[in-house]
Amino acid sequence: MHWPTIENYAGDWYNKGVLILDPFLNFSFINYPSFWVILLVFFIAVFYLGRFWQSRESRLQLLIDEANLKTQQIQELEKVNRELEVKNRELYSKELGLTLANKKLQTLEEAKSKFISVATHQLRTPLAAIKWTLDMTAKGQLGPVNDDQKKFLLQGLTSTNRVISIVNDLLKVDSIDADQADYNFAPTDLVKLISNLIFEFNSQAALKKINFVFLKPQTAVPLVEIDADKIRMVVENLIDNAVKYTPENGQVTVKISDEQLNRAEGSLVVSVTDSGIGIPASETDKIFHKFFRASNAIKAEPDGSGLGLFIARDIIEKHGGAIWFENQSGSGPQGTVFSFTLPLHQKKV
Amino acid sequence: MDNTEPKKILIVEDDEFLRSLNAKRLETEGFKVSVAVDGQSALDLIPKELPDLIFLDLLLPGVDGFEVLKKIKADEKTKAIPVIVFSNLGQKEDIEKAHNLGAQDFLVKANFTLDDVVLKIKEVLK
Repeated sequence: MHWPTIENYAGDWYNKGVLILDPFLNFSFINYPSFWVILLVFFIAVFYLGRFWQSRESRLQLLIDEANLKTQQIQELEKVNRELEVKNRELYSKELGLTLANKKLQTLEEAKSKFISVATHQLRTPLAAIKWTLDMTAKGQLGPVNDDQKKFLLQGLTSTNRVISIVNDLLKVDSIDADQADYNFAPTDLVKLISNLIFEFNSQAALKKINFVFLKPQTAVPLVEIDADKIRMVVENLIDNAVKYTPENGQVTVKISDEQLNRAEGSLVVSVTDSGIGIPASETDKIFHKFFRASNAIKAEPDGSGLGLFIARDIIEKHGGAIWFENQSGSGPQGTVFSFTLPLHQKKV
Repeated sequence: MDNTEPKKILIVEDDEFLRSLNAKRLETEGFKVSVAVDGQSALDLIPKELPDLIFLDLLLPGVDGFEVLKKIKADEKTKAIPVIVFSNLGQKEDIEKAHNLGAQDFLVKANFTLDDVVLKIKEVLK
């Protein structure tokens, strides 16, 4: 048996080592193709390793950048959230403020309505007493009066009517800011509405010996869809102006016309004609302005709010109609015609 | 209907002066006038007297005009009597309420003379 000895063993490895190292020591490894293959593989591997390492580096950097960005974004979001909280709290307290203000406004509105209600009643009662006393006395119903006394009493009566008219205007003040939503449209008998109004003005017209004429079409007038209360104010204002600015022995004509009835959107035309002071040409464009009163009107009647026609136009326009006036011309009596249209039906909104 | 018999008018009004002027004017015209100074007296008087027409103020001490109107129109004996509300209230709601409760008409005192009132009575009683 050949037992390997230390020397043999070492010699064995030495021989193997020499076998492997020999090509290298002689540079004869270049003859071995496997050497070149291994070398090539080696370089290729290094190359790709390098690239891999680089991309890993850059991917890592990307991740780091992303993480940084995300952290930044989170911090910004938190900042925005905090600001939002602050704004929310501000909004909440503003909302509370608004709710309180609204409540206060409502209370004020109710108080104003109540005040106007009470004020008009409290003022009207003694005014009615004065009016009736002057009227009855002037007509000799409380004992005989001479013509001189009668003249003065009638002057007093006219003044009283002026004050009553201004008090009545207080109630209308409430309506100035009404939206169309607050309007109550309902089919209304316009003839009856105007008849009642003319009745109301009878005594005032009689004071100035003014003749009242009410013209309506031959055929029955159809019901018209209007807010009766508001249209009443308009006609009342026009008739009041007509009587106010027409001198003694004049004439006021109220006319309902159906001339525009047979159109696609039929409407009634109402006109109030007086034989009064007319409207100066230089002031015609301001007649419907708020608080405006023509110069000759102020001279004829110092008291007046200047609100009547402004309110009238607003109401007519909310009805979808139009209001205008024409000065009477020609050689006949001066005076003005105010007209407005009322569509028969209101468009449903 | 006997045309020579004077018509009975009831005036319900708490203001003494207005009441007396109104009564005087109507009496001059030939009407038979009775008065009530508040709502309760009106309610007591109406079924007994059965007037031909009632002038009703709204602001009355105690039972107010609306209450009186409601009760008159609810009673079989009295619901046919025409009621003209004669008041110085003027808000739209008041006028509507009065009409809804059955009032024939609503006149604002300060807007009419007593001669107008007489014309109105004659118109309603025709």
